[in-house]
Amino acid sequence: MAEKRITIRTTRFDPDKDKVPRLQSYDIPFSDDSMVVLDALNHIKAHVDGSLSYRWSCRMGICGSCGMMVNGVPKLTCSAFMRDYWPRSITVEPLQNFPIVRDLVIDMEDFMHKLKSIKPWIIRKQEYPLGAGEHRQTMDQIDEFRQFSECINCMLCYAACPVYGLNNEFLGPAATALARRYNLDSRDQGLKDRLPVLANSEGVWECSFVGECSVVCPKGVDPAKAIQQTKLDTTTRFVLPYGNREE
Amino acid sequence: MTEGDEAEASTGATPRVYKPEMPRGWWLRRRHYLLYMVREFTAVPMALWLLWLLAEIHRAASGPKAYYPAASPAFIVFSVICLGFAMYHSITFLSLAGVIIHLKFMGKPVPPRTIVGAMFGLWLVASVVIAAVLIGFAR
Ligand code: SF4
Ligand code: FES
Repeated sequence: MAEKRITIRTTRFDPDKDKVPRLQSYDIPFSDDSMVVLDALNHIKAHVDGSLSYRWSCRMGICGSCGMMVNGVPKLTCSAFMRDYWPRSITVEPLQNFPIVRDLVIDMEDFMHKLKSIKPWIIRKQEYPLGAGEHRQTMDQIDEFRQFSECINCMLCYAACPVYGLNNEFLGPAATALARRYNLDSRDQGLKDRLPVLANSEGVWECSFVGECSVVCPKGVDPAKAIQQTKLDTTTRFVLPYGNREE
Repeated sequence: MTEGDEAEASTGATPRVYKPEMPRGWWLRRRHYLLYMVREFTAVPMALWLLWLLAEIHRAASGPKAYYPAASPAFIVFSVICLGFAMYHSITFLSLAGVIIHLKFMGKPVPPRTIVGAMFGLWLVASVVIAAVLIGFAR
């Protein structure tokens, strides 16, 4: 039987030579049904063109570094099975809405900055001395935020968000989900530190609820829910007399 | 890159990056985006209808003699369409409440279904009250 083959088109962009990115086609063997799009890129890099650049690390949907547009949809390429596309060709492009550094590699500086701005760590008004032991939590208290702590910072939600695409100042889905993750944590007391970033005009109110972030999220984080909950939260805090209570 | 993206590679300082721009037709690219745009668009006829309502209230303020309600078939058709849009917005909005509102009762989270049910119940009560007031006034 003739060997199964598949056409992969990938974005190529060399900042030293190219003015604009272009697409290049590769015809490669599709030898095994368990192949994912990342395997195809690795095949191209190993056997066809060693200069193809892209990010990846874990190959198991954990590290969040292999996000790219696969046939126009943001995907973790290590979890996108080629059998779901074959015999159609597959077009791999860098994550939408981000500047392109080279080939499939995007500049994630903006996301890193946003992530840092919501202070994604446990803030205490006063740290316990180490000897005082751990902060205890019940299962119910963990369940409050567990979903939002599943985020792997893959940025697929930013690539899916047209609001972010039109206005890069928007805080965006994952950063809000992570802010919520810490605000809901019974050990955290940092709400007041995060509110200015969440409630300002480029914060949650910029969101017009397209909802695509939650559709593409590979971890079921549901950032759209985090954003709408934060809208409700900041409003009640503003409107209700006890809303500004210390927590 | 896909067509429609406007090109611009930044010059000068390294590293040079390419900043793609959103193509004008971004909302035609995915079904979900299109549905979102349709949803947003339905607000326009609703706003027009509400403006019309304001105009009617204004006319009604100068007494029953000066008042004549809009009753042309075209206006009725338009109103029915707007009612459909308004129902669509209300139902999707209230159904979302189950996802968004987090309530606890005696230490246990209230199930989303109960919250959505309560929302629809309140909606019904509010509608009945408003209808009663309007009918009361009309008598
Ligand atoms: S919220 Fe989901 S899509 Fe967004 S960065 Fe986190 S894991 Fe990725
Ligand atoms: S390579 Fe780590 S998530 Fe895909």
